[in-house]
Amino acid sequence: MPSLIHVENLSKDYRLIRKREGVGGGLVDLVRPRHRILRAVDNVSFDIAAGEMVGYIGANGAGKSTTIKMLTGILTPTAGEVSVGGLVPWRDRLQYTRHIGVVFGQRTQLWWDLAVVESFRLLRKIYEVPEAVYAEQMAVFDKLLGIGEFLHQPVRKLSLGQRMRCDLAAALLHRPRILFLDEPTIGLDVVAKESVREFLREIRDLQGVTVILTTHDLNDIEQLCRRVIIIDKGKVHFDGLLEDLRLRLGRRVRLTVDLREDRTREAMQTTTEGLPVNWQPAEGRHHVAEFRRAEISGAEVIKLVVNACPVSDLHLAEPDIEEIVRDIYRAAGKEHA
Amino acid sequence: MPGAGTTVTGGIEAAAASAPERLLPWGRSLPATWGLYLSFVRLSFLKFLAYRLRYYTGVISYTIFISGHYYIYTALFASSAPAADGTVSIGGLSLPEMITYVAVSWIGRSFYFNNIARELSRMVTEGEIAMQLIKPFHLQTVMLSEAVGESCFRLMMFTLPIVVVIVPLFHLRGPADPALYLWTFLSFCLALVIYSQWNFLVGCLAFYLKNIQGVLRAQMVSMDFLTGVLIPFTLFPHWFQTAVQWLPFQGISYIPVTIFLGKRPGNELYHALGLQLFWAAFLFILARLVFRVAVRRVIAQGG
Repeated sequence: MPSLIHVENLSKDYRLIRKREGVGGGLVDLVRPRHRILRAVDNVSFDIAAGEMVGYIGANGAGKSTTIKMLTGILTPTAGEVSVGGLVPWRDRLQYTRHIGVVFGQRTQLWWDLAVVESFRLLRKIYEVPEAVYAEQMAVFDKLLGIGEFLHQPVRKLSLGQRMRCDLAAALLHRPRILFLDEPTIGLDVVAKESVREFLREIRDLQGVTVILTTHDLNDIEQLCRRVIIIDKGKVHFDGLLEDLRLRLGRRVRLTVDLREDRTREAMQTTTEGLPVNWQPAEGRHHVAEFRRAEISGAEVIKLVVNACPVSDLHLAEPDIEEIVRDIYRAAGKEHA
Repeated sequence: MPGAGTTVTGGIEAAAASAPERLLPWGRSLPATWGLYLSFVRLSFLKFLAYRLRYYTGVISYTIFISGHYYIYTALFASSAPAADGTVSIGGLSLPEMITYVAVSWIGRSFYFNNIARELSRMVTEGEIAMQLIKPFHLQTVMLSEAVGESCFRLMMFTLPIVVVIVPLFHLRGPADPALYLWTFLSFCLALVIYSQWNFLVGCLAFYLKNIQGVLRAQMVSMDFLTGVLIPFTLFPHWFQTAVQWLPFQGISYIPVTIFLGKRPGNELYHALGLQLFWAAFLFILARLVFRVAVRRVIAQGG
């Protein structure tokens, strides 16, 4: 498939000041500051075709946002190249931004003091959206996101969920070819998250926009993206289909058990003797076991534990992105060793 | 088109699909550009209108400030020795001229003032600049348009009330020639451009400095001297007067106020306005270039 977004050997360094200690050190710092180079993005390459929806995931500080900011033309890279449809984001910024939509979950692109509809009118002018397209898009957004209800409220009075819906609409008003979403569901409740995902699915099918999505929530990825790119410490550790990732890792689940009396780790291990369940080193009343859903069901493990020990509380949790990334990272380390 | 490359079936279409995707070039026509930036003027006006209450206290503080100067200069003139013809003048200005100078300077300041430097530096340090950079417009021109909108608001809701209070209070009398009012207003409009572009340049320092608060305060204080708003240039030593001739700041207050006082007869008027126009254009272009370079230093917030 022809690629729309081409990224090659992309790197970004930050120069951080390394503080010396004490008053004397502080004075020396004034005259001769010491710097440390932090490589936030390290030699990243990938290609994305038109119409793809790609999840770009990694732990905090892995380099996700830095990559997105280079792809949107906000940051200038230290090395490497990016070409999106023949344009270089940071060099051709004015040309390029016409074709993209961006949502940063932590910020809003709406004008804070104005009614929502004023922001949309202004965006219509900024992107020169024809009247007919504007009306059509607003109808779609009202149908899918229900933004009609609060169009005349000032942005500062919206709830986080309402604001996010408006921000999504604002990013898509001009029918961009590419949509960048940086943590679009952060801080939203379950219902709001679901409506955002639903909207993204519909808009992808409806308008064929290419989407790059960073998130902490694995559910976002599972429901939206076929392809994932995993980044850690600035490097790409996995780039492929979500199914392949799952096959490679299995789905790890973590069971937390609180007991009414003390047990050793060995005692806990015997409760699931012969099964692929891994009890983490712990003494006392609090124990944690890990297993893969593909190998054994949660119900089975819970049944064994409850039958063998005086359990006061149980908690079954899916791994978050950070853990998956750690798994990938560990796997990569083993391959090298 | 999801999966554009895989769904097409036939000859020409398949050939087109296998070529790399191109984003179409795009430009904004001149009328569309003016239309866009005029909407920023309008929205900024509306925004300030929503917060108009906080400006009523400003009328009081400006009046107090001008009153302070009034009493200082009255006392100063009373204790100064008269010249041979019996009149008293300080720095080439008589007492009524001096009072008019102070009043018109501050009336003008109530019109052209804005906080672009602080606003831009806040955007940079808080990382909000990112939201501006993802839009196909020049942030500099947007901020200039917003400053114009703010000044339209100030003219109606701030400058006019101050004039209404100040003029009868200090028995101010303007020039006899009505054209001078118009030239003064035009000159203050150019002052607005110079002031906002200088502020934008100062704001760009935030790309390079970690903490810009001290710089902002220092430049605010020195601006009151260098523009002539606080004290007329003629009261300063000769070297200072020569120096400010080469700086853009006299175009912010000293030039418009001296136009109002009728101190620029004949061609000197056009010369003064031309000088302002030059500085306005120069700073606008400089600000655009500096921003283009400085923006490469944007630091990402978060990983």
